[in-house]
Amino acid sequence: MSRRFLITAAFILLLGSSFKDPVSIFNISRGNISFSSDAPLELITAGSNELKGLIETEKKQFAFSVKVRSFKGFNSGFQKDHFNENYLESDKYPDATFSGKIIEDVDFTKNNILTVRAKGILTVHGVPKERIIKSDMTIKNGSIFIKANFTVLLADHNIPIPKVVHEKLASEIKVEVNSELKIR
Amino acid sequence: MRKKLLIITASFFIAVISFAQDTTDISKMLEDELKANDQNKTVYTTAAFKTTRLIDGHSIENTAAGVLDVKISHRFGTIGGANGGVYNFFGLDNATMRLGFDYGLTHTLMIGIGRSTSLKTFDAFIKWKILRQSTGKRNMPVTVSYVPTIGIISFRDAAVYKSFSNRINFTHQLLIGRKFTEGLSLQVMPTVVHRNQPVDNGPNDVFAAGIGGRQKLSKRTSFNAEYYYQLPGSKVPGTTNVLSLGFDIETGGHVFQLHVTNSSSMTESNFITGNKGSWGKGDILFGFNISRVFNVGKKHTKEW
Repeated sequence: MSRRFLITAAFILLLGSSFKDPVSIFNISRGNISFSSDAPLELITAGSNELKGLIETEKKQFAFSVKVRSFKGFNSGFQKDHFNENYLESDKYPDATFSGKIIEDVDFTKNNILTVRAKGILTVHGVPKERIIKSDMTIKNGSIFIKANFTVLLADHNIPIPKVVHEKLASEIKVEVNSELKIR
Repeated sequence: MRKKLLIITASFFIAVISFAQDTTDISKMLEDELKANDQNKTVYTTAAFKTTRLIDGHSIENTAAGVLDVKISHRFGTIGGANGGVYNFFGLDNATMRLGFDYGLTHTLMIGIGRSTSLKTFDAFIKWKILRQSTGKRNMPVTVSYVPTIGIISFRDAAVYKSFSNRINFTHQLLIGRKFTEGLSLQVMPTVVHRNQPVDNGPNDVFAAGIGGRQKLSKRTSFNAEYYYQLPGSKVPGTTNVLSLGFDIETGGHVFQLHVTNSSSMTESNFITGNKGSWGKGDILFGFNISRVFNVGKKHTKEW
C-alpha cells in the first residue's frame, strides 16, 4: 500500500517537472549581415544573406553564425579572393560567430519594441572577443526582428593591415545585422 | 508487478527527457545544424596559385570575371655560359619581354593575347576550367583546365620561314591541379604542340609532360617550380627541357614573380619545343613577371 503510494507520488512528481514551461526556440528565417570599410582611398562593402541563428527564450541564450565565404559584393573578384585568402583565412576559420545571453528580461510572447544588450563571445578569424552589442528588437505576432549596428576592430581579431593597403582598408569595420526569427 | 515496472520505467524516461531539456546548449545546436547543412552545399577551392601563370606556363588559376590582368614579363640574358658573365653584365644587357593581356569572361573562361620579343611572336589563348576542385555536396579532388594556344612567329627570315604555315604553332594543354593544403598546390600539364611545317628537324606533333607546383612561404609569398619534359619519342633534336624556379610576391592588386629559368621565351610553342639553353652549361637567366589586375567589368551592385 505505502509502496504503491510512493511510486505513484514519484511518478506524479517527475511528470510535473517535465511539464514546466516548454523551452521555445526561435530560428532565423531571413538573416542578413553586411560590413563596410570606409578608408581614405577606398570604400569596400560586402554582405551575406546566409546569416543563421537561434534564440532560446527560457535562458535568453542566442547563437549567430555566418559563413565567411558567403560574403558577396566587394569592388572586384580579386578583392574577394584576398579577403578570403589573406585577411579572414576562410579555409582555416570558415565561420564568424556570436553567441551568449541577452542581459535584459524579455517577454517573447507579447508584441513589443525594445533595445536589448546581447552579451557574448564574438569570434572572427578564429579569435574570440567578449562583446556587449546593443540591438533593436521588435517582437510582433510571434516573430522577432533584430537590427544591430556595431564595429569590429581588425586588431581585436588578429587581422593585420599591410602597409601598402593602409589607405585602402579601415582599421574599424562597420557591421550591420538585420534578421527575422520565427518560432520553430 | 508488471504494471509497477512499467510505471518506473516510464517515469525514468520522462525524467531523462526533462533533464536533457534543461541543458540545451544553443550554440552547439546551431553548430550541429550548420554542419548538417554544409553537406548539402558545394564549396569550391580557391587561390591554388597567386596568379594565372606558374612561371613561364599556365597555372590552373583564371582571372575573375570582368577582370583584366596586364602582364609584363621580362627575361634577361644568361647569367653564365657563352653570352653571360661580367662582359654582358650577367645577362642584364640582353632583356627580352612579353606584354600580355588576360581577361576573364566568366569565372570558368578566360582569354588572352600577348606579344614576345623572342622570335617576335604573337600569341593568343583560351583557358576553360572544365572541372573545379570542390568539397561538400560535390566532392571534386582536382581542377582541370583546357588551354589551346596559338603562336605566330613574325621574325623576318625568308630563308627559314618560307611560308606563313612555318610560322604558326598550336599548343593544346590540359592542366590538372590540386590544392593539397593551404600552402601546397601541385599540377601536371600534359601538352601537345602541333607545328604545321616545323622549321627544325623535329616532328609535327611534340608531346610533352609538364609538372609544377607552389609552396607558400608566408601569406603573400610562395616558392614555385615548373618543368616541361618533352617525351623521348617526339623530342625536337638539339633542344633542352625547360626548368624554372621562382618566387611569387603578392601585394594587393599586384603579383610579382621573380625567377631563374633556362628559357628566354614565354610562348608555350617556343619554350617547350625550341629552347636551347641548358642549366648545366650556365645558361641560367633571371626574369620577372609583373601582373596588375584591373576591374573593367561592371561594378557589383548590392547583391546580398
